[in-house]
Amino acid sequence: MASIKGLQSSTESDQQPIGDNTSTPVVSLKRITKTFPGGIVALDNVSLEVYRGEIVALLGENGAGKSTLVKIVYGVYTPDKGRVYVDGKPVFFKNPRDAIRKGIVMVSQVPQLIERLTVAENFLLSLESVGLASPFTLTSRISKFIERESEKYGIPVNPEAKVWSLTYTQKQMAEILRAIVIGARVLILDEALTYLPVIERRKFTKFLLEFKSHGGTVILITHKIPEALESSDRIVVLRRGKIVATLGKEEADAETIRRHMFGEESKRLTEALPRSKPGKRKIIVVERLRVLDDYGREAVRGVSLSVFRGEVVGIAGIVGNGQSELVEAIAGLRRAVDGRIVIDDVDVTNKGAKAVRSIGVGIIPDHPLRLGVSADNTIVENIAALFSKQLVIDWTEMRRLAGHVIKKLNVKASSEDDPVKTLSGGNIMKIIIGRELLYAKKALVAYNPTRALDEVSAAAVRGAIKSRAINEGLAVLFASEDLDEVLELSDRVYVINTGQLYGPFDLDTTSRDEIEKYMVM
Amino acid sequence: MIAGILFYATILALMGRNPVEVIYALARSFVSPGIVKDFLILSMLGYALYVSFKGALFNIGGEGQFYIAAIGVIAITLSLMPWSPGQSTAKTILVIVLAVFVATLLGGLWGLLAGVFRGYAGIDEVPVTLLLNYVAYYTVDYLVYSIFRGRHTYGYIRTDEIPEAYRLNYYLPPRTSSGEGLLGSLSSLAYQFLREFALYYAWVIGLAVVALVVYFVMYRTRLGLLIRIHGSNSDYLRAIGVDVCRVAVATLALSGSLVGFTASLYVLGYLGRLPYPVEESTANYGYIAILVAWLAVLEYKLIPLAAYIVAALRDAGINLQVAQLGGTEQTFISIGLLLTVFTVVKVFTEYRIEVRHSG
Ligand SMILES: Nc1ncnc2c1ncn2[C@@H]1O[C@H](COP(=O)(O)OP(=O)(O)OP(=O)(O)O)[C@@H](O)[C@H]1O
Ligand SMILES: [Mg+2]
Repeated sequence: MASIKGLQSSTESDQQPIGDNTSTPVVSLKRITKTFPGGIVALDNVSLEVYRGEIVALLGENGAGKSTLVKIVYGVYTPDKGRVYVDGKPVFFKNPRDAIRKGIVMVSQVPQLIERLTVAENFLLSLESVGLASPFTLTSRISKFIERESEKYGIPVNPEAKVWSLTYTQKQMAEILRAIVIGARVLILDEALTYLPVIERRKFTKFLLEFKSHGGTVILITHKIPEALESSDRIVVLRRGKIVATLGKEEADAETIRRHMFGEESKRLTEALPRSKPGKRKIIVVERLRVLDDYGREAVRGVSLSVFRGEVVGIAGIVGNGQSELVEAIAGLRRAVDGRIVIDDVDVTNKGAKAVRSIGVGIIPDHPLRLGVSADNTIVENIAALFSKQLVIDWTEMRRLAGHVIKKLNVKASSEDDPVKTLSGGNIMKIIIGRELLYAKKALVAYNPTRALDEVSAAAVRGAIKSRAINEGLAVLFASEDLDEVLELSDRVYVINTGQLYGPFDLDTTSRDEIEKYMVM
Repeated sequence: MIAGILFYATILALMGRNPVEVIYALARSFVSPGIVKDFLILSMLGYALYVSFKGALFNIGGEGQFYIAAIGVIAITLSLMPWSPGQSTAKTILVIVLAVFVATLLGGLWGLLAGVFRGYAGIDEVPVTLLLNYVAYYTVDYLVYSIFRGRHTYGYIRTDEIPEAYRLNYYLPPRTSSGEGLLGSLSSLAYQFLREFALYYAWVIGLAVVALVVYFVMYRTRLGLLIRIHGSNSDYLRAIGVDVCRVAVATLALSGSLVGFTASLYVLGYLGRLPYPVEESTANYGYIAILVAWLAVLEYKLIPLAAYIVAALRDAGINLQVAQLGGTEQTFISIGLLLTVFTVVKVFTEYRIEVRHSG
């Protein structure tokens, strides 16, 4: 029943499948154009066919149009021109529910499950909404399914557990399982796997292969090229709203893909970062810090560390080991139940964000859309809220700062007055990073500082952070789930595991394997 | 909008009214000079509530802020600085300015109180402002019954009339001859409008002041920016080190003070005294203004338009004597209908846009 025939021939979109392939594509886009207010052409005459039983990776730099493309397939946006076909028939989705009814389900980076309900209850709600269950359906049947499936792939999810008690991995797992349960034939993953630990991601990959072998289709968006190479049959590269390459598994390698994604700029990726020479003074000092998470569990268990002037200290660790809470506590956004935080010789323990900010500390928090920006407001308004201190705002000056951030981080926006929510995921992140780098005078505290960024932008941001440390003595403390990033950017490395800190490790004498060991033990 | 009016007419028709008569009455209300008064007051209050709604703070305490402020005007003009024959113009102006100022302050205080509950005790502002309306009513009632009870009221329990010198009205003489034909009646209508505007000249100035202040605060100052961000993501404010509680307090205080300012002009320009019990004779502006802000979909520019529509509907409702109900009920019926219609129309337009796109 698994049909993987379409793969080789489907590279020539818009044409009849050739060779022995006679199957109709499960989803096909014909000459799709989407322009947004402000004149940005997000998609320019894009045609793409996706077949049963294949995994297609959609790659492209920030703002290339990836999310827009899948949102059109998912019924979030309607195209200005062109048509979407499902099983060869034109469809006009008004909302995601229409898409779901046709078996198209999207999972993004942010888990959408309702936190207060159990996993099974969440499933039941979705099943009801597509008419696959009635309010009287027993959750026990759903629970059985969840247990069976989660066992099969080795990602334990307890169907009776409240969603809030799950780890990020389990939530994402639950969400993907839910997509299958409600009848997904086409699974769209918009950076959904990016933040999973490597081991779990492998399990997911296995899961996707299994799904594929039963005729399922996956459209996978990621900024991690290895992730795409690992699992996909075909790689489609978008650039500035156009498909610039469609590569079969055999012809695709990281180098080629990068060249298509970034053109000339891909050369910049190979530059290694210099080490900084830390000063003598400690800027950030954390002593025996204990912090609770949102549910009262101890997330940070007695962490002590220090960051010198001009030093970049990285904390490696798998998502959900207390990094987020640690960063929030230092930023003054979360109470410490015990311990001390001193920044630039000022005790800021439980003094709130204002005290921390007034020292000149930049913060790149977890949950960027909640704590990093106000998405309804414009770029310049978001910047003015942090920078403007006078009663009457000097908008000219604020525009200048916004323009500076846009230029410096190469943000794709039509003007400083764009509402932040109209930017692509990566470009929103760039606004946050740029603003905080500009604000940081003494220290920068960050969590996943390059999340959602494409490789070139991520490298540029790491370069910018490092040069602030080297040239201006900025003390940088960051946590990242990307071990490569930690190894590349840090002068000193810690590992956080279940709220406890290990290290510091000297990068000259410690191997990557050793650090990884602490992460997973 | 047209659809809304037709729908409104249909409903009234179903209630046993002659549809032609209803439509005629409605149409007449939209060009009636009688709505100038409501238009001006509702525009000002609409802007006052716009401030708090923009900050996602649902100030439904306009009523309370209004009457608490009104009692301030009574206190100044009748009690603390009563008019004495032959007093200087300077003093008269001073008293008026002071009355407006005190009313603004009191309205702001009433809003601030709600803000403190909301900001520091974490209690939702909707029940708080609602409750404060009743506290205000009873406080005002008590004061009118006791210390501000008038002596020249023909036995009624109410305050005395505010002296003529403090009243903010300008009377244009009625026009004697108005020409012939259509042109004549048009010019006579225009003159009637002019008379209304002149009569409430202080409100025209007041509206200009309120509109400017609101625009300036919301779009030029840091507070306004923080209010607007508070309305969409207060967590972001917290993350950049802003005291979110203080923003909530300031928002409600500002909104309340604009209500208070409006109330002072209303008392000095129209009401002239406070009745007892006040809650039974209010025009419910504090509540109706919620509709104005809402109908304007929180768009700064649309507030006056929304105020105009609501004023006209209110006028029509009163003229039509819907089901022999009292003034308030009529207003609420017309407003309720309008809300329904507005929602239905909105749903339909959105639906239509999508159909067009996919077709
Ligand atoms: N609702 C919107 N209104 C206006 N412009 C938009 C809207 N959504 C997307 N855009 C613009 O369309 C372009 C493509 O955005 P899209 O989100 O598809 O990019 P992307 O490839 O997913 O990028 P990223 O890797 O950063 O997530 C961007 O320039 C963005 O600013
Ligand atoms: Mg995206």
